[in-house]
Amino acid sequence: MFRYYLHLALRRCRQSLPMVALLSLTMAIGIASCMTALTIFGALSGEPLPGISPHLQVVTMDARETVDKDNNGYDKADSYLNWVDAKALVDAQRARQQVGLAQSYAQVARPDGKQSSQVMGLMAYGPVLGMLGVPVRDGRPWTLEEQTEHVPVVVIDSDLAEKLFGTENAVGRRVSMGGHDFRVTGVSAPWKPRTQFLDLPRNQGDVLGQSEQFFVPAQAALAAGVGPLTAGECGKGAAIVSFQSAEVGKCRWLEVWAALDTPASVSAYRQFVVGYADAQHAAGRLVYPPKAALYGVQAWMAVNHVVPDDVGLNLALAGAFLLLCLVNVAGLLAARFLRRQADVTIRRALGASRREVFVQHLVETGVLGLLGGLLALPLTWLGLWIVRMQPVAYADAAHFSPSAFAVLLLLSLAVGLMVGILPAWRVCRQPPAMQIKLA
Amino acid sequence: MQLQPIFASLKHHKLTALLLVLQVAFSCAIITNAVFLIVQRVQRVTTPSGLDERALSLVEVDDLDAGANPLALHKTDLAALRKLPGVESAALISNVPFSNSEHGSGGCTSLAAVHAVMKAQSLNVPGCAQADVYAGTPGTLRTLGLKLVAGRMFDADEYVPDKPSDQSVIASAMIVTQDFARRLYPEHPDHVVGRDVYFGEGLMKGQPTRIVGVVAHLHQANVSSDGSDDQSALLPVEPNELRALFALRSSPARQDSVIKAAVAALNKSNPGRQVSANDAQTYAHMRASYFQGDTTMIGLLLASALGLVFVTALGIAGLASFWVQQRRRSIGIRRAIGAARGDILHYFQIENFLIVTGGVMLGLLLAVALNLWLMSHYELSRLPLFYLPIGALAMWLLGQLAVLSPALRAAAVPPVVATRSV
Repeated sequence: MFRYYLHLALRRCRQSLPMVALLSLTMAIGIASCMTALTIFGALSGEPLPGISPHLQVVTMDARETVDKDNNGYDKADSYLNWVDAKALVDAQRARQQVGLAQSYAQVARPDGKQSSQVMGLMAYGPVLGMLGVPVRDGRPWTLEEQTEHVPVVVIDSDLAEKLFGTENAVGRRVSMGGHDFRVTGVSAPWKPRTQFLDLPRNQGDVLGQSEQFFVPAQAALAAGVGPLTAGECGKGAAIVSFQSAEVGKCRWLEVWAALDTPASVSAYRQFVVGYADAQHAAGRLVYPPKAALYGVQAWMAVNHVVPDDVGLNLALAGAFLLLCLVNVAGLLAARFLRRQADVTIRRALGASRREVFVQHLVETGVLGLLGGLLALPLTWLGLWIVRMQPVAYADAAHFSPSAFAVLLLLSLAVGLMVGILPAWRVCRQPPAMQIKLA
Repeated sequence: MQLQPIFASLKHHKLTALLLVLQVAFSCAIITNAVFLIVQRVQRVTTPSGLDERALSLVEVDDLDAGANPLALHKTDLAALRKLPGVESAALISNVPFSNSEHGSGGCTSLAAVHAVMKAQSLNVPGCAQADVYAGTPGTLRTLGLKLVAGRMFDADEYVPDKPSDQSVIASAMIVTQDFARRLYPEHPDHVVGRDVYFGEGLMKGQPTRIVGVVAHLHQANVSSDGSDDQSALLPVEPNELRALFALRSSPARQDSVIKAAVAALNKSNPGRQVSANDAQTYAHMRASYFQGDTTMIGLLLASALGLVFVTALGIAGLASFWVQQRRRSIGIRRAIGAARGDILHYFQIENFLIVTGGVMLGLLLAVALNLWLMSHYELSRLPLFYLPIGALAMWLLGQLAVLSPALRAAAVPPVVATRSV
């Protein structure tokens, strides 16, 4: 029966091509605008590190050690800590894993100076690779002993190894950073979070994650004169932005992230952090009430407005647009079906049940929906291309993926069926006798 | 014309009429909000900076090896830039509006207020306010094209070099915007010239700075959402940092050649540094990149709004066409028993008007609801009420335009149709 309905639907479509074109194009425009916005929204929302970031929490507190007059008030949660506080929190080992980290941008060179590259990386105190789930292809991360002894070791990613040495196999080799030699203990796979969530104050305006190409113990790096991307907040109120400075003794420049698996462990860790901060305040080290708090990755990204409001606004607009297209098509379909009342009447009189008539019309609108989806495919591609052409921070997220194609087909089928329900129901409700008379 | 027959006939098309009403309602709600968003973004993008933006160019230089007193080096550069053909005036400045790099300082009008600030650890004290600070060498006001509305420019002996890094210098004079003057002296904002303000570092040390002039507008470095965007002060402090920003004024026609010449001159005066073409740009260009996100959004909103209008018009016209076809016979009968073409035309126009009116009623409610929803999720302001009648008017107009062609076709149905059997 289904095949017969399909046959009927196609036949009817052929009979009124302009109308079919209008209906499917209207659906296509709605679907395409929605798909464009959904693709971008999907790429930007969700977990930056699937499976890992849901367990991460960042420590925030007002860790200023001096009275700060130009900054009137601590109005926004602040994740930057100075070395003393970061080290104390990490050393306490109260979470499953905890790391103090800061982003760095350093010149990494071969010791002979023949190859070098300016790359982003992380300076860390703690098991950063393990906690962030950075896959180590070869070799190993640095050990606790190497960290406490300030041994100059580094993990670089395979892209950087390839660039410097022409081979991924760089374990045991030496690289030069800040004029000092570092031994490569491991080579990691290229790694970048889907969206930016680490070190957000240093990455304002960035939406998409960046590749971190080296990982280095913070103390060893500082000793070699390699500092964080910016010095962070240094004593005085306004941020003194001195790039690449390793003179961070008086600055708040590290974030502490902790991996916590259960709500109970999160609240226990929160208690610990609040207790630590309040004790430091009571002892007079932190001059302001610290208001310590933990933020999950999603909440932290929301507080820092990582994903621009415009992205959500676009999605809302596109959704509304699709809705309008649906109502529009439903209206046209109702008119189209009701014009064929005579055919329906005859079928009903010959014994077709209401259900059969209903299904027949739904099949027809389903076909129209799929046709709309097919048309929406190039339109979506066009929409994403237009977004990619825009100089906005999330432009690179506008890529059509195979999974998006599946979503698109499902969406268009759903759209086709949804718009058909009301008109089909209306058609099959007519009593047969009434319609024969009319005809 | 009587409305009764129209209502009677609409009753036979309940579902389609209802869908049309819904369509108009959604369309009305979305378009009203989209237009509101567009207008807001356009206002943002066109925010006046207070500068004379035409023919203003900027060159940024990073001298990492300039030593302890970069100002000396940059003053030599400035002298070289002033000599370039086409340059009318030039200045070394700290920053410009819409540049993303802001430096704010607090100011208080009396020592009592200063003490209150110290006690409260906040500038939310009567007689005190925060402003964005712009500093520059002699010639800054002329180069930026700022208009004085009261007082005078800085005297040559008032300019002081800034101290490097962490200590800042206290200027003896300052020029404020009208808005900042109003914030400091709400009682007599027009008589601020000659008054002393404890400002910036002077606030900490209890040393006053005298207001010598007032400019009409000077926008802050960033656009904030609270609308208090003209709180700025100019100081006669010569920037003394490794990073230097030069502002150049030239005639509009020579702007490109001046920029090229400036880059060449700066590279020549200090061969160690690399100033690239990317470090030099017109002010208009910098401003455009600051507002890039908004411009993109305006384009997207505009495209969506046009798409909505198009789809709605298509829907109205499509349904009207169906109805005309369906009623050919009854139209013929009406014509045969004496209805004029105009009567048929008006019938369809009035029918459309009634449906759109229903849609508009619902749509205006939806528009307000949508605005409230958007306000709760995004930083948006309330939809001004005058948008509603405009939205309604636009929908009526759109409906009439869309129905015109089918209605004309209906009016053209000849009476003889009545005599044919279908």
